[in-house]
Amino acid sequence: MTDTPILGRVVATERKPNTPHEFHFWTALDAPVGIGTIVRVETERPIAGVLPTVYGVVTEGFGYTDLQTPLHDVLGADGVPGASAIAPTERTEIRLYTAAVLRHVPEEPLQPVPMGTVHLATEQDVQLALRMDSYLQPGSERGIPVGMYRAGGTQAAVHLDADFLLGPEAAHLSISGVSGLATKTSAVEWLLGSIFAHFPQDKGGVAAVCFNVKGPDLCFLDQPASSLSDDERAMYEALQVPAEPFKDVQYFAPWTAKGFQLATLRSHEALQENVQPLTWGLRETLQYAEVLLNKDDVDAKADALIDFIKERVLDQAFSDALFDAPVEVRSFADLEKWFSTLLRAMESRNADVWRTHHVATIRKVRNRLTNISTRCRGLVTDDGSVSDLPFGQFRDRAVYVVDVANLEEDAQDLVFARVVSQLREHLEKRQLGVSQVVVFVDELNKYAPADGPDTYVRKMLLDIAERGRYLGLVLFGAQQFRSQVHRRVVGNSGTALFGRMDPDELATPGYQTLAPATKARLATLEKGQLMVRHPHFGQPIFVRFPRPAVLTGREGVERFPQAEELSLDAAITKALRRLDPSITLSWVQDSIALAGDSEDDILRARNRTIQTKPDDVKAFFRAQLKKRVATEPTRRGPAPLRAGPPLDDPYGG
Amino acid sequence: MTQAASAPLEAQREVDAPPRVESATPVEGEVMRARAVPGAPTVGVAAFLDGVQRSQVRAYLNGVPAVHGAVAAAVRIRSGRRLSAWTAPIRSHALYLPKPVVDAAVFAALVERCAVVDTLADVDPAQPLPRHPGDLTARALTAVQRERERAEQALAITWAREQREPLLIDGGIAGTEEVARSPFVVGVVKSHRTLYVAGDAMDAVLGLREGERSTAVALASPRRTPVATWYLRLRDAGARGPFFGLVRVEVALETGDTITARADLVSRWLLAERAPVALPDARWDVMVYGIRECEQYLTSILQ
Repeated sequence: MTDTPILGRVVATERKPNTPHEFHFWTALDAPVGIGTIVRVETERPIAGVLPTVYGVVTEGFGYTDLQTPLHDVLGADGVPGASAIAPTERTEIRLYTAAVLRHVPEEPLQPVPMGTVHLATEQDVQLALRMDSYLQPGSERGIPVGMYRAGGTQAAVHLDADFLLGPEAAHLSISGVSGLATKTSAVEWLLGSIFAHFPQDKGGVAAVCFNVKGPDLCFLDQPASSLSDDERAMYEALQVPAEPFKDVQYFAPWTAKGFQLATLRSHEALQENVQPLTWGLRETLQYAEVLLNKDDVDAKADALIDFIKERVLDQAFSDALFDAPVEVRSFADLEKWFSTLLRAMESRNADVWRTHHVATIRKVRNRLTNISTRCRGLVTDDGSVSDLPFGQFRDRAVYVVDVANLEEDAQDLVFARVVSQLREHLEKRQLGVSQVVVFVDELNKYAPADGPDTYVRKMLLDIAERGRYLGLVLFGAQQFRSQVHRRVVGNSGTALFGRMDPDELATPGYQTLAPATKARLATLEKGQLMVRHPHFGQPIFVRFPRPAVLTGREGVERFPQAEELSLDAAITKALRRLDPSITLSWVQDSIALAGDSEDDILRARNRTIQTKPDDVKAFFRAQLKKRVATEPTRRGPAPLRAGPPLDDPYGG
Repeated sequence: MTQAASAPLEAQREVDAPPRVESATPVEGEVMRARAVPGAPTVGVAAFLDGVQRSQVRAYLNGVPAVHGAVAAAVRIRSGRRLSAWTAPIRSHALYLPKPVVDAAVFAALVERCAVVDTLADVDPAQPLPRHPGDLTARALTAVQRERERAEQALAITWAREQREPLLIDGGIAGTEEVARSPFVVGVVKSHRTLYVAGDAMDAVLGLREGERSTAVALASPRRTPVATWYLRLRDAGARGPFFGLVRVEVALETGDTITARADLVSRWLLAERAPVALPDARWDVMVYGIRECEQYLTSILQ
């Protein structure tokens, strides 16, 4: 027990008794106590030979005088407010606080909090009060710093238990707060940095997949913050987290609808090194057709035909009496051709049914499936070219940002469903490359709403929330209104962070357990402050965290303005020059001139070149232009000498 | 022995003496009259002294009431507009019993276990001993009251010896010579069972307006030290009766211009103490807040 000054005294009356989980104490008027302050109660009466110590956090405060009614003060001042100020004596006034118990030491027998003296918690007390001692012990350290507890001159690092944040004991994190303060994104960025710095090496690798669903929020995670204050740097130092941006970040974004550029705000030339296209073909898309086709689209009959196509047609030589020769369907273009051939053949034979599938069903499925490549243009390719996240080769402490901010809602759902499903499948087989992966999803209320249709994405999120911790698949979900997220998702989040909250949201039933003063504090939290709920903490705790050491989205787009929209030949040049700096605009113009007017062919050639990353980029690219230009061998071999960029090249140097 | 669970005796106390009027000699001028207190109210009181008592019949020993009495007295000193304890308060608990009428063995056993005060110690043993339980209870209550007064006087004497700033005492100051002669002690009497005015002077006193005081008079009795006293109207009585807001102030006896200046100064001090109002105390019109705070302090430490 530390020798700290007495701050207050525990009081209990019949009307306001103490219980094992709540107690009251009074302090001097100038005591440094507020909502969220952690205190220690000491008593002189031993229980079973042991002096009990109780830790609590202040949840409510009261102040009053010996006045029975405000009218008495009015009478005393003759109705003149200023008169009270000249009274020679101040009225007796009390500061009475209610605290929620965090921990009893010893834990048994669990009794009402005894009368005793109240002290400000020291750093060591905070560790004990929050039960952090169990996971900060030398040899079994698995603490992940979440922020600094600060009150009354005490500063203490607050750690989360990695086993309860990333599994397997509990997992997932839910962060709520009003929009516009950047608290949610900042907190997640900070916490990811903390996880990467502190996640025990012996627990395997950890990576993060972040879905950038709006603006440039997550587009500059590898760039250093413009400035951090001394206080923030001190916090980084105290929490032993390096104040530096993420070292290993990969960006993935689909192409724009025109297909010339990637649809991301991270399009500045200087930042293209780690930006890759995200494109999927028919096979990848059809696996998740359910995401894009709602129940009105797909009845049982249509579903049966889709399953038939997936199992019997896709990626194999398909033979049938109606087809003159075996057909291979590997892309949306192939699929369209397959449907055309089939329907034409049925028409010529005047057949209504083919292999139990009615012609109307076939037409409907054709319409819905071939329409996907239009609805998800930029993401889904007609030609089947695939550029994907490196499933199976995930790197430890790497962040993979999937920028879907510019995609339609349907396409966002598809990306989300497929990426998360792939993560799950690879984690199940222990083939992802890391043992734990954090999936950060903003606007979780959109993907897993409390009410609304039971979509594929919502079902998948519920599954992750309930079973992900066993796999190492951890969901970090952010939302403005926690009450609007499915309760099984938030309920399964072992850890919850709260930034400044909307008062209307705080009035919803999910916050009934919070005292009015705690709610009031939540409604006025400053940037950089959070309320934390964690399985080890008996009560929510307020902490401060430093700004993430990465460039904010807003600053990022100012420092790295978005690249201007390019013409087709300039876009091709830009893309190919990342593979071969000697490629010039004139060379590209010459090459694509031979391809005729088909932009699709040119873009397809570019995509295949980017996907293949051949040693001889020029030869490979030209070979892809449907042999309209003289082809060169595309096999990998010794790389030819690459000349530097010509001086007159607008993309040079 | 019969257990008893009664209300505090102080709440049951009957009016102890009939109202009366006594004449007193003015010490400033020759006529008792109303005098406007000159100047603005001034903060001058440095501390407040009060005492409390609580008595309760705890048991009857063959019909004899055994009264538990608790008394406490304290001085609350003002610093930065806040009051705090000056020295430790005086507290005592005792059982008040009439020794001559209680079984000797029982009395001796009680003395072994707690403080016991004999409430018939001053009764002539040659006279018939009182046996009426009501009479014995009243004697016990008087004994408790004396104990409280002793505690108050002890603190007042210490203050008078050690301090050079004004102490405001709730009640008269004439009971102890050292206190009664101290220039640093002011007594404020709130009740007026005895009015120290007679004849036409009564009109002057009862007709005092807010901020007015009466002529100071000398108060003398065989068992008390002479003091100077005057009436002061703290608040406008309006239609609320002649005693509303009326206090009687006691200070060390002086005469002539000296007492006039002293009475005016002390009156200004008291007028300054009208705020904050001592509500919700029923005697708020005549009680200064410092005394109420002192009383609350004592009540809480007697719990």
